[in-house]
Amino acid sequence: MDKSRLEMLAEELGASEQEGKLWRKLLLGAVSGTTGNNLRETLREPLLGLLEELEPTALGAKLKLVIERVPTFPTAELFPLVLELCGELRHDREQAVRKLEDMLSELATPIIRIWTEVLLVPLIGSLDTDRAQAMAERLLERTSTTRARVVVVDVTGVPTIDTAAGGFLIEMFSAVKLLGAEVILTGLKPEIAHTLVKLGVDFRMVAIARDLEDALRQAIAMLEEEKRQRRQIAWGRGSNFPGEGGEHGDI
Amino acid sequence: MARKAKELLDIPADDFEMVVRIVREEDIAVARQMAKQLAQGLGFSLADVTKVATAVSELARNIYRYAQTGKIMIRKRLEENGGPTIQVVAVDRGPGIEDVDLVLTRGYTTYERSLGIGLSGIRRLMDFFEVVSEVGTGTAVVVEKRRRKF
Repeated sequence: MDKSRLEMLAEELGASEQEGKLWRKLLLGAVSGTTGNNLRETLREPLLGLLEELEPTALGAKLKLVIERVPTFPTAELFPLVLELCGELRHDREQAVRKLEDMLSELATPIIRIWTEVLLVPLIGSLDTDRAQAMAERLLERTSTTRARVVVVDVTGVPTIDTAAGGFLIEMFSAVKLLGAEVILTGLKPEIAHTLVKLGVDFRMVAIARDLEDALRQAIAMLEEEKRQRRQIAWGRGSNFPGEGGEHGDI
Repeated sequence: MARKAKELLDIPADDFEMVVRIVREEDIAVARQMAKQLAQGLGFSLADVTKVATAVSELARNIYRYAQTGKIMIRKRLEENGGPTIQVVAVDRGPGIEDVDLVLTRGYTTYERSLGIGLSGIRRLMDFFEVVSEVGTGTAVVVEKRRRKF
């Protein structure tokens, strides 16, 4: 088969100019007389381009046509190469997905200090994954290092809470409490509230707030109450200045 | 009972609009999402959409936890009186359940980090609930939710 006929075939196969170029390269490379590794290297680049350009079924149909029309086409070399390239592409894609997942887990859950000794955790997405576990660990770490008194957990961005997600939250709440902080849960949507009651997931161990504003108010009230109690203790011990805003207010 | 378990396990997937194979943990979210979409499309109330999605999530998690692999199959049924109904069939060829009544007891679990309220919770979320299981063969759970009229 001479060169001009191959070029005609390439033109026929290529739906776009770019694709035609790839076919031309592939066909001319295939019948150039090289063998073994050299042939594979020659075919590799145009084939990879075609795999990216075309749908797998379309590429398959066109390759079949090529094999029928060009008797000298090195079919035996082509097949393992195609499989290899498909594997590589899939590997690349999986890696891209993994990168995105990593990015997501970093982006997904900020832990925000919204008030003195108050942390806000706006949870987003499913709570039943490793990502959620990692987030819980981070929260515990932050709660401990910042010596937070109150942790406000906002589940507005959580689409559904099933028993696994509920169990996860309960575990997280218990752990936060063990660090000496109170938990305020907020952002439960009405439909989720109903489902939780039906499921029997019990969040009574923590304070519930209607919305973030309410949560912040409750958190500040908790802090004030704690201060007041400490003042009272100080006063009980016979302190000289028990009054409002005295030196012992911030013991 | 045994016959019924086999029958349900071999139920052809072609009869269902959606079939999700549960193999990886991510598949749980996929099943939940599909159930949610179908319920929304049928005009279920927001609360009921959440209930259906939650039940599917529980069923898929049970498969993943106890049988490793299985299928969640979802279809809708249009009834003459009363609104459309969503039927979810969860099947697996896992170890099976020895005592179904015990499993349906609140707080019973063989999984250390579980609340043990999943199956009994699903029963309360849905209108129809049936578990058929045979040790060594597998488990099938059928649940249904009807669209309510307001």
